[in-house]
Amino acid sequence: MKVPLLSAMVFWAFAILAMASAVFVAFSRNIVHAAFALLGCFFGVAGLYLFLSADFVGIIQVMVYVGGVLILFLFAVMLTGKIRNPEKSNPSRAIPGGLVTMLVTLGLFGYLAFTTPWQVLPTVPTGPTTSQIGDALLGPYILPFEVASVLLLAALLGGVLLAGGVRGRSRLTGNEQDEAPRDSGGNT
Amino acid sequence: MTLTQSVAGLLPELCVLGALVLMLFLDLLLGRKDIRDPRSTGQILTAVALVGTGLAAFFVVRTPDLPGVMFGGMLALDPFARFFKLLFLIVAAFALVFAAMSEEIPRARLGQYIILLLTVTFGMCLLAGSRNLLMAYLSLELVSIPSYVLAGFRRGDRRTSEAALKYVIYGGIASGLSLYGFSLLYGLTGSLDFRELITGLTNLAYSPQSKLVLIVAIMMSLSGFAYKVSATPFHMWCPDVYEGAPTPFTAFLSVGPKAAGFAVLIRFVQTALGGTLEPVIPWPQLIGLVAAATMTIGNLTALVQRNVKRLLAFSSIAHAGYLLMGVSAGTDAATRAVELYFVFYLLMNMGAFLAVQAVRARTGSEDIDGYRALGSRSPLLALILAVFLFSLAGVPPLAGFIGKFYLFASLLETGTMFFYGLAFVGVLNSVVSLFYYARVVKAMYLKNPRGKAMPVPLGPGYSVLLLILAVPTLVLGVYWQPLINILSTAAGMAH
Repeated sequence: MKVPLLSAMVFWAFAILAMASAVFVAFSRNIVHAAFALLGCFFGVAGLYLFLSADFVGIIQVMVYVGGVLILFLFAVMLTGKIRNPEKSNPSRAIPGGLVTMLVTLGLFGYLAFTTPWQVLPTVPTGPTTSQIGDALLGPYILPFEVASVLLLAALLGGVLLAGGVRGRSRLTGNEQDEAPRDSGGNT
Repeated sequence: MTLTQSVAGLLPELCVLGALVLMLFLDLLLGRKDIRDPRSTGQILTAVALVGTGLAAFFVVRTPDLPGVMFGGMLALDPFARFFKLLFLIVAAFALVFAAMSEEIPRARLGQYIILLLTVTFGMCLLAGSRNLLMAYLSLELVSIPSYVLAGFRRGDRRTSEAALKYVIYGGIASGLSLYGFSLLYGLTGSLDFRELITGLTNLAYSPQSKLVLIVAIMMSLSGFAYKVSATPFHMWCPDVYEGAPTPFTAFLSVGPKAAGFAVLIRFVQTALGGTLEPVIPWPQLIGLVAAATMTIGNLTALVQRNVKRLLAFSSIAHAGYLLMGVSAGTDAATRAVELYFVFYLLMNMGAFLAVQAVRARTGSEDIDGYRALGSRSPLLALILAVFLFSLAGVPPLAGFIGKFYLFASLLETGTMFFYGLAFVGVLNSVVSLFYYARVVKAMYLKNPRGKAMPVPLGPGYSVLLLILAVPTLVLGVYWQPLINILSTAAGMAH
């Protein structure tokens, strides 16, 4: 398949942005730098989504991951009391094993990606996809859509319950705890 | 089915969900400082949750037996799903009562425990019917995420925190692997529906180019299910989590989510991989090998355990191995044998953990040494625990033996060398398992206690519950035909 030069350049720009930031995340010794590098990775992936005509997913990627998850990461890093020295907070361990795993997965999935007869859409959709996604969510995918909201509720409650233990008080009910945390650092 | 019919078919799940939402408000209202009375609050909350599960079970039983699909193919409404839903609701009801009796769950936090438990139950019920990869994944996560929190429910205990963390990390890896597998399957066939998957995969299977990608995709997809049923190599979380989690939840975890994993695994291999793919992709052999490895590792590691909860954890890994044999055989008889085994497994495993909970409540010990001379310190408890342990080992005339018998018989019925070999490995493993179950029994009856032998009083609540679980274990071991009759249609799946 012939790809126009401009498209190829856009693709490679986003792909290199995503990959280079991901490598930096993995190898940076400073966890704050790693968290910031994740920004580039998320943007690169969002660009790839846009490149695949998935405009809605791309925008959501930016809003949720860059706007929410990443900020949360940074706050978590800043609020974690156990990080004494951010310069050495993200040590790389077991490099040889990781390298072998990487090469094997890279080889396998690279091979699969190029040799497999994937299902290809007959025509590439252009234009906004948001309304189609909305129709699908309230049509054939109504049940997964609703169940996802229960899943989010469960995750929310779980998060509150786990975090609520630090002060020895349940945030959900406001009840005092029967037990005193013996190891307050262990469950933050 | 139309949307209205679909919603009607979803009534059991909606009952659980309704109880869950009600619980959120009740927990807030009754937990207020001025009207707080932890004991009666706990009783009210447990009662409401039990009514919810009971109502759900009522709707499950009442659903007419029409094999059909709901919500445009997302969920199946068939005897197979119905059986598992009923099983999950019974497990949940037992776990609710166990929790209400346990000192490991502080009264003030019982509401939170119940809310999370109901969420898991909701997820399990959906998982039993899922016939779409998206739905299966969502339900799987709905089972997993509250389970992570429940595993770490005991606060301020290093072991518990470590167990919960291990559970999350292993769970994340398994879930990521299976998602990648699902994405490969979608890329190959353009569909997430189990029925459409099989047509797409069969078309592909005969081209040599796509054989490798099919094997990779299927193995990765199965890893998420393997994690839920604690099959090798995804079993490592199991002993730590079982040990660190509060015992009532351990009892629940060892039966409920495991059965849910099996339900979706059986449906996936039978409807999405099915028979036509078998000549090209040898998935029954693959699952059979995993089964052999799982039970062997589980049983051999159980031999050296000192903590009874850890011992039961490895025993539950071994049981996952036995049950996987039934999955790999893939016949209707094997599916029914797995279902039958789960009925017995529910009784004996929940019972064993309840006995562990009772011993822990009175002596504070989970170590095998704490069980020394239990035969004289608490005769009823020791006797009942011995019944459960021997039943788990598959000693006749107990229910566990019948379960194993049907399982092995269904393997032999297939008439292939591979399954003969597998059944042989299974029998060998059962013999090995007898050693470690007998070790607990030996400690209870033949060992002298360390120090002063304190009697272990058994409250009326524990006695009644233990008997509720023990009597069927004994009776079904000699008179199981009614159960077979009930299960005769329970392997049927909607297409």
